[in-house]
Amino acid sequence: MIRFDNLSKRYPGGFEALKNVNFEMDAGEMAFLTGHSGAGKSTLLKMLMLMERPTSGNLLINGKNLNRLSNSQIPMYRRQVGVVFQNHQLLLDRTVFDNVALPLQVSGYPASEIGRRVRAALDGVGLLDKEQQKPVALSGGEQQRVGIARAVVHKPRILLADEPTGNLDPELSSEIMALFRRFQNVGVTVLIATHDINLINRMQLRIMHLEDGELTDDGAGYGR
Amino acid sequence: MAANDRNSRDGAQRGASGKKIRFADRWHGYKSHHRDTIRISLRKLLSEPLQTLMTVAVIAIALAMPSALYLTVENVEQLGNNFESSAQITVFVKKGAKPQAIDSLRAELDGMSGIDSLSYISAKQALLEFKALSGFGSALRDLEDNPLPAVFLVQPAVSEPIDMGQIKRLMTKIASFAIVDDVQIDMAWLQRLHSLTEMGQKVVLALGAALGLGVLLVIGNTIRLSIQSRRDEIIVIKLVGGTNAYVRRPFLYTGMMLGVFGALAAAIMIYSSLLWMSSSVANLAELYQSQYRLQGLGFIGFFGLIGLGGAMGLGGAWIAVSKHLRDIEPK
Repeated sequence: MIRFDNLSKRYPGGFEALKNVNFEMDAGEMAFLTGHSGAGKSTLLKMLMLMERPTSGNLLINGKNLNRLSNSQIPMYRRQVGVVFQNHQLLLDRTVFDNVALPLQVSGYPASEIGRRVRAALDGVGLLDKEQQKPVALSGGEQQRVGIARAVVHKPRILLADEPTGNLDPELSSEIMALFRRFQNVGVTVLIATHDINLINRMQLRIMHLEDGELTDDGAGYGR
Repeated sequence: MAANDRNSRDGAQRGASGKKIRFADRWHGYKSHHRDTIRISLRKLLSEPLQTLMTVAVIAIALAMPSALYLTVENVEQLGNNFESSAQITVFVKKGAKPQAIDSLRAELDGMSGIDSLSYISAKQALLEFKALSGFGSALRDLEDNPLPAVFLVQPAVSEPIDMGQIKRLMTKIASFAIVDDVQIDMAWLQRLHSLTEMGQKVVLALGAALGLGVLLVIGNTIRLSIQSRRDEIIVIKLVGGTNAYVRRPFLYTGMMLGVFGALAAAIMIYSSLLWMSSSVANLAELYQSQYRLQGLGFIGFFGLIGLGGAMGLGGAWIAVSKHLRDIEPK
């Protein structure tokens, strides 16, 4: 599903964020991406979101080389990916419902379909009763769950999460991980960037470790 | 969650992300998206009434000024046309001409082709009229002689457009009579009026172009500020797969609305000043026994102005959007 092929990213100014990264993830696989801050976790996720382009090497999604996608094809690609951000990136002037509906709206879904899917996604994260609230009225954990609902409402094939449990207590963290497990069980490829050691230790999952832009351990075969 | 699971599994099995939507649904979604965009853009404009009002006022003034000047030129031109069809030749009879000679001139003129109507004002009549109308009555009383000649007022038979050559030939023919002192036609000022209105039209174009540029800049700047204040929203939309067209759309609608509102306000300004002036113009026209009335924008002019405003709003927004949206990419 995901294949990094000798991928490097060098920023203008010479900083090398990723160095010859190679790894593969199958469809329906779930893995952690670890490493201390600045090791390149965010850059790797940005590559998968096409927010950055590699300096060299290839990134293949389902056999398709992302280098070959033109800028105008990026939106179509992003509709196959769901992202959970650490700072949740919710629009504060819109209701929970409208926030979650956004990925469907940009894809041109009819209103009835949007209503059905948004409610299903909110039900999945246990926030169905909060759909008309503004994000500021919610707790940190609830905001994060709204972010997750938005990331999965359009049924992406790949789910990326950047420190999804960053500010949450252990109980909420496990709840959120359980959610991710559910998506994995229906065939979604899930990649979670985190340095939450407790979380990693609690789950039997493949762990990829980045150090100064190099993938020192791709954890392949572990926890499958 | 059950429904979601099932759907997700469907998506995985298809090898697609559930983005396959029937065309009819997509079209329907597209239409309702446009409707929503218009509604949201309108609500955003109304949520900042002062800002919107000021922008609309600037646009309205910039559109109203060249439009008003255009109407002025049109009206003056029409006024000129009115006078043109009543171009009159004044034939001055030599002083001291014998009444028989004047009678025979009248007979000659009567028989001449190219003359529509003819009227005679004797020297005595002319003096009486002058006394009555000029206000110099008491000064004239001191004169021993009547200084005024007898005149024939000749109304040439003219066709539209006016053929100055034909009128000139008629004038030469009349001037050739021995008894005729001078033949005059007051056309020079009409020609001057013509060149003035021509110049006026050019001024309208130049002013229109300059103020049109101003409208583009004002709308462009408003949209630029609006883009900056919605930066986060744009980034999130791009991250969830919104196309550039999707991101662009609300700003284009906002620009177009500002342009249309500005044009509407400009039309209101023009109509109210016409209303304000029309009674004095009617009074003036009455003094000249004229049916002349001020011309307004008319149906085509009104919708032309609205269309122009909308197009300029769209254009200004397009410039701002194409310049600034590219800079906003998720980082």
